[in-house]
Amino acid sequence: MSGASISAETRRERRRRERLAERDAAIPVELYGLKRGTVTALTTCCVLFALFTLAPVAWVIINSTKTQSNIFGSFGFWFASPFEFFHTFANLFRDIDGDGTYANWFLNTVLYSLSGGIGATVLAVLGGYGFARFEFRGSKVFFAIIIAGLLVPITLVAVPLYLAYAKVHLINSVWGMILPSMVVPVGLYLMRTYVELSIPRELIDAARIDGASELRIFLRIALPLMVPGLMTVLLLSVAGTWNNYILPLIIFSNNQLFPVTVGMGLWSQHAGNSGDANLYPLLVLGGLVTIVPMIALFALLQRYWRGGLLLGSVAN
Amino acid sequence: MSETALRPAARVVTRPSTPRKRRRRSAYARRQGRAGLAFVTPFMIIFTLIMIAPLGYAVYQSLYTTKLIGGTSFSGFANYSAVLQSGDFWGGVIRVIIFGGIQIPVMLAIAFFFATIFDLGVARWGPLFRAIYFIPFAVPIVVSSVMWGFLLDPAYGPFNHLMNAVGFHNFNWLSGNLMIPSIIIIAIWEWTGYNCIILYTALKSVPRDVIEAAILDDTPLWRIIVRIKLPMVRPAIIMLVFINTIGAMQLFIEPTILNNYQAGVVTNTWTPVIDIYSTAISNGQYQLGAAMAVVLAVIVVAISVASLGFRGRRRGQQ
Repeated sequence: MSGASISAETRRERRRRERLAERDAAIPVELYGLKRGTVTALTTCCVLFALFTLAPVAWVIINSTKTQSNIFGSFGFWFASPFEFFHTFANLFRDIDGDGTYANWFLNTVLYSLSGGIGATVLAVLGGYGFARFEFRGSKVFFAIIIAGLLVPITLVAVPLYLAYAKVHLINSVWGMILPSMVVPVGLYLMRTYVELSIPRELIDAARIDGASELRIFLRIALPLMVPGLMTVLLLSVAGTWNNYILPLIIFSNNQLFPVTVGMGLWSQHAGNSGDANLYPLLVLGGLVTIVPMIALFALLQRYWRGGLLLGSVAN
Repeated sequence: MSETALRPAARVVTRPSTPRKRRRRSAYARRQGRAGLAFVTPFMIIFTLIMIAPLGYAVYQSLYTTKLIGGTSFSGFANYSAVLQSGDFWGGVIRVIIFGGIQIPVMLAIAFFFATIFDLGVARWGPLFRAIYFIPFAVPIVVSSVMWGFLLDPAYGPFNHLMNAVGFHNFNWLSGNLMIPSIIIIAIWEWTGYNCIILYTALKSVPRDVIEAAILDDTPLWRIIVRIKLPMVRPAIIMLVFINTIGAMQLFIEPTILNNYQAGVVTNTWTPVIDIYSTAISNGQYQLGAAMAVVLAVIVVAISVASLGFRGRRRGQQ
């Protein structure tokens, strides 16, 4: 008990210290010689843009509690009875109009994002370390090809992939979704930069002198030092697959395999003439359920993605 | 063990200095090379299977034509000349260029404005606003298009009520004339926070003493921003222009989803990617679609190379 409270105390202390340090690093506003009221005016600008940013999110939260007729009939930015949230939520687990079940799509999205994201991270960590700390025949050419791959986004590869999949029978295959999600050239690029900035060559050479094998050096010395960069790549690649639309749209014709994005696209197409199925509430709540895990993930891991985005801008 | 102790020394001695020497590498260097190759091989295999091979196959396919009578035959560049002469395809290309040409500068101006505010600390609650602005980055584009579809719905959308209340009756955000401006608003909502965070991080790395010196010289604040900060974050801005341009060229999800709220505006050729999708997948003209994908890839790569070249020249001048 006391141990836990001490660590909580120190964490709070540390946060306070960081905040003070940040304040000391900033130049006091008074020195800029601004007119009176400038801070208020600029804060107002910030508030206005925050309202613009939050309006659709607030709309989704409010309207996830409404019936279909209230979604259209009542004022969009306030609640209306009856409170339908739990009824709609239960419908997320049913195949309500024959297109498929939201819960099923959600599990697919989780499966594709986690396996694709973890695979992408493993490949990027290994490859980034290899390119950063070894020189071998062809390493420059390989790396140049991967950088060229950065310029060719997945949207443009989707149709060629479809043609190739048709040839090797990967249409409507889970692997057809997971394997492309594992190719994240920007992840490898970030990891290479990260290794170059954070793992000194001398450290690795010292371990080699001590007779450690390359695999051991990687696992015991390099990998622990790569964790912050690794988390960034994991976050970016999981989010990338979570958001992917066009690839699953093209390669899946079996509704059971859809991720949430494709399922919701289909619903938005059918909602207008779905008759009694009442798809609009499902569309709204489904959207909310899709974004909550991502916002939670970004909030939990925010110190990692901040570092990673910084890395991206500095490295370029 | 004594052999391993010598490794680093051997590496220094045998580091190749001329191309001729590179061929005769030491056992140590060869072993190192093998280890390095082992680390990058998994990525290279999947990368080859998923990107290089399909793109190669698409190029190959694009040189063939399938006819109802006569089957598939080699047709050279016939598909390419069909794409290059297609008014619909170029109409889509021009549409996404107009879209990006407006959306990217406006969004970057907003993002730079707020990034500067956060960097200077001249507004209250900066960290809170930074976090709020980043939220849309976590929203899948399909979901944000669905949300905005509801908000802009021509019959029931709250934004339509708003325009009605201000005096614009029969206002339609999703009509033919306003579809592009509406998608620009949606794209600004989606991407400003992300761009703002990157610019903010870049601004944070401007050395403090430079700014202090300028303040001591009584330089007005706007001048510090325009003359000192803006030039110092130019590399970040160029990188963002580049990323956003590639994104704009692939516009697909927003118009596809919005089409479900206002039918008839977004045609099958509205943007190049919609065109490719409907040609290759919906109509089953794989070879023509493949040729379109190759042409669009060439356009995207050309824009990227041009912007990288621009950055290189800028750097060379300094």
